[in-house]
Amino acid sequence: MAQEEKIDQIGLLEEEELAAFIDHACELEHPREMVIDVLRAIQKNHGWVPDEGVELTATILGITPIEVEEVATFYDKIFRRQVGRFPIHICDSICCWSNGGEELAEQFQKTLGITFGETTKDGLFTLLPSCCLGVCGQAPAVMIHQKLYGPLQLDDVDELINRLRREASA
Amino acid sequence: MPTLTIDNQQVTVTDGSTVLDAAEQLGIIIPHFCYHKALGPVGSCRMCAVTVHEGTFKGLKMSCLVKAEEGMVVTTDDQQSVEFRARVGEWLMLNHPHDCPVCDEGGECQLQEMTIASGHGIRRYGGKKRTHNNQQLGSFVAQEMNRCIQCYRCVRTYKDYCGGSDFGVMGSRNRVFFGRYKEGPLESDFSGNIIDACPTGVFTDKTYRFKSRYWDLQEAPSVCPHCSLGCATIPGGRYGELQRVRSGVNEKVNGFFICDRGRFGSSYVNHPDRRRQVRSDGQPLTVGDGLSKLDAQARELIEEHGPEAVLLLGSNRASLETNWLLQRWAAELGCRAPLLSAHLQRHQAAQVAAFDLSDRLASLEKVRQSDLVVLFGVDPLAEAPMLAVALRQAARNGALIMVYDPRPIELPCEVDHQPTSPAQLLAMLVSDCEPEIVRIREMLSEAEMPVLVAGGDLLGAEGLLRVKQLAVEQSNEKRPCLIHPILGGPNSFGSAVLSLPEQDDLLTRLESGRTKMLICVETDPLLEAPEGERFGTALSHVDNLVVFDYLPTPLSVHANLFIPSTAPAESAGSFINNEGRQQLFAPVTNPRLPIAETGAGNHPPREFLSTAPGSDPQPAWQLLQQLLGDMGDLETVRQQMATAVPRLVDFTNLQPGGVCCRVTDADERSLYAGDLPEQPEGSLQLVVTPARYGSDLPSRFSAKLTPRFAPAVLQMNPKDAAALKLAAGSKVSLDTEVGSFNLILNCNKDVAAGCALVENGAAFPHLVPGGLPSFCQVSAGVRDD
Repeated sequence: MAQEEKIDQIGLLEEEELAAFIDHACELEHPREMVIDVLRAIQKNHGWVPDEGVELTATILGITPIEVEEVATFYDKIFRRQVGRFPIHICDSICCWSNGGEELAEQFQKTLGITFGETTKDGLFTLLPSCCLGVCGQAPAVMIHQKLYGPLQLDDVDELINRLRREASA
Repeated sequence: MPTLTIDNQQVTVTDGSTVLDAAEQLGIIIPHFCYHKALGPVGSCRMCAVTVHEGTFKGLKMSCLVKAEEGMVVTTDDQQSVEFRARVGEWLMLNHPHDCPVCDEGGECQLQEMTIASGHGIRRYGGKKRTHNNQQLGSFVAQEMNRCIQCYRCVRTYKDYCGGSDFGVMGSRNRVFFGRYKEGPLESDFSGNIIDACPTGVFTDKTYRFKSRYWDLQEAPSVCPHCSLGCATIPGGRYGELQRVRSGVNEKVNGFFICDRGRFGSSYVNHPDRRRQVRSDGQPLTVGDGLSKLDAQARELIEEHGPEAVLLLGSNRASLETNWLLQRWAAELGCRAPLLSAHLQRHQAAQVAAFDLSDRLASLEKVRQSDLVVLFGVDPLAEAPMLAVALRQAARNGALIMVYDPRPIELPCEVDHQPTSPAQLLAMLVSDCEPEIVRIREMLSEAEMPVLVAGGDLLGAEGLLRVKQLAVEQSNEKRPCLIHPILGGPNSFGSAVLSLPEQDDLLTRLESGRTKMLICVETDPLLEAPEGERFGTALSHVDNLVVFDYLPTPLSVHANLFIPSTAPAESAGSFINNEGRQQLFAPVTNPRLPIAETGAGNHPPREFLSTAPGSDPQPAWQLLQQLLGDMGDLETVRQQMATAVPRLVDFTNLQPGGVCCRVTDADERSLYAGDLPEQPEGSLQLVVTPARYGSDLPSRFSAKLTPRFAPAVLQMNPKDAAALKLAAGSKVSLDTEVGSFNLILNCNKDVAAGCALVENGAAFPHLVPGGLPSFCQVSAGVRDD
């Protein structure tokens, strides 16, 4: 266990998680297939993936950091920079756009006082554009963590934000 | 062999060819970026679109991906294809900066050419361009990511082809970034290839930045002088300075790429200490006077003291022509035949390669195609870097690579390395029961195209002959078992081909005291032969030391008469590489003091001279022709040489930059290096290996390579170190037959047990690779002697 603690110096993964990943990596012929699983576990614990997270993933899987970084930077749902506690992915694809997605995006920006790519000062919200979330039937839609919200009216935005604020302070 | 019609012309191509290849055979160059002969197609740039009218898949297709089919009809110049390519050209240019006037790639930029070819001229896009922060990638490669058109050639070259592990592609969509995980020097020994592979100015040669425009650069096809492989290179020079080297193409040898030692190791030509004037005991002379003096003195000495009074010494750095003319001059003078190498053991190994192995030599191309490569006593990255890339290609095609070597072998592919000491290596090759050799024999008998790679330095003549035995035994009527020998220098094979069978030792001859005059042509035995110190002492018997060289070697400083010769890039000549390929090189620039030096950063002095300053050096073959009183030009010399040495390829069939041919087979010479010495009890086997950079003299005198020079260390297996109670990182004393040295100890479990390993290079020039097997003691602490 001592050795495992050493490779995760800033505690990005729970001890059991780390041990499980290492065990699983040993069983696989191509451990790199676990890249996303490890990155997502780190992101779940830490909110985003710092450089140490990329390096830790590389160590666990026995690959180079660049090989992890190639995957980490390809997917926009893996955050390589610090984001708010609630990253809000707003769909900008065709169905959402034709059902008022643009107006919805404006409403989010107005309510939170930030533009896309920014985080609110209290560190709670980050606004991110996203290509299709796969829920065209619920357009216009947003995704926060793994949860989808939609169809959203402009009035729903205030309520959603307030609910998340309450959740954060609880 | 399908026959197809492209733009109303019929062409028959080999099975598996693409439409793009087929068009090229007709002389139709379809614009393309991501496709590269060595890397294959990926179809990512969309530039090579053509219209297929008849074929399995009709319509607009990417010609690099579509295989040629029987009866296929393709047009490249129809409106649909032309318009599509014009749009692709425009789209690739969306984010490309208009910085061609300050871009180093300008003038040799494929993007420039293809944009013009595709017809895009006026920018319509008015939006913001995508920009990137660049990374500092070390002293060799400059990055300018804004110019990137996402063709992926760099990463396919660096990572897929050459096996580098610290470079990749990050991001997605229009934010794709090619670089390292974190800023820092590129680690691969083949990093410079991304400069050649990049079709635009993202990766450029940092050492050549802002020096010349491509159209101002003088270039000529050449042969790399840094190891025995003889890779094709294209050096470029201007204003008396050799400014850069790029890769040439020789599909039998290096293919399309070269190593960083070859690419960035060319600045020895411009070394500030290079001597460019004839000097006789410190006094400058004209070339004519220097040669007359030399001729008169040599004749006088021979008359007075007999044929042994003058000793001529050729080398593996000198061209074939030079070494041959040296033999002619010796005959003309009436002295004994010249020695063509100061390094007897290396020369003997080269003779085994040139004679005994001559009917079973494998080219580097054969290594790439092999399905089982067994390396005996070879560290590719140290001795022949492009061999490592060739092995990677074999491994990518499923070959197994096995290495038996005492050194910790690093290769850019999976490898089965068994640390084996030199003595074990020699013993296992003739053993019937040693488990490893039994395993090798079994695997060789099942392989379809096996190649044995044999290191001349470590195995010596005797070891190479033992490898030959194995190859003979493993050959059958279906397929031969070939050998790829690795030799000491660029023309080791050539000087071996010319050499006479009986060669005695340079040192014995000097120590006999009968040699009054020693003439060294492009060699410095102080640095290039084992027992440099013994040679230094033996020199005291010699009254007159004459040196011809283009490098500022220590010996050239001691010379009574120094005659400057030209570097390979400054003269025409030929080398024979490790597998017997007789290759020509053409002169790139004329020798002269670089303007950068005479002007010291300013405008050069306005002196009116009919010759350029420092332009005295002449090719050594030309100097020897003058000594012979023969006015024949190089063609004539080559003709005479090819007649005198029937093994050589007729020079009229060869051209610089061509694939060139192998010299013809010869009868076995079967040299015996004598019995192998017994290992004294309690000693370690001494293994001297070339450093990856700075072991061959041209790279040692190349300032550009200094960032890659490694510090001097002694490497041992941790078990041996523990047995001797030595701690890793501590100072130790290495006691060898030629002296004691203080070094820092590194422990590495991949070093064979019972061995002490040192690297010959700029930091540790004292021991030279390729000598007789020898033994040493390692003890703690520092000795002062």
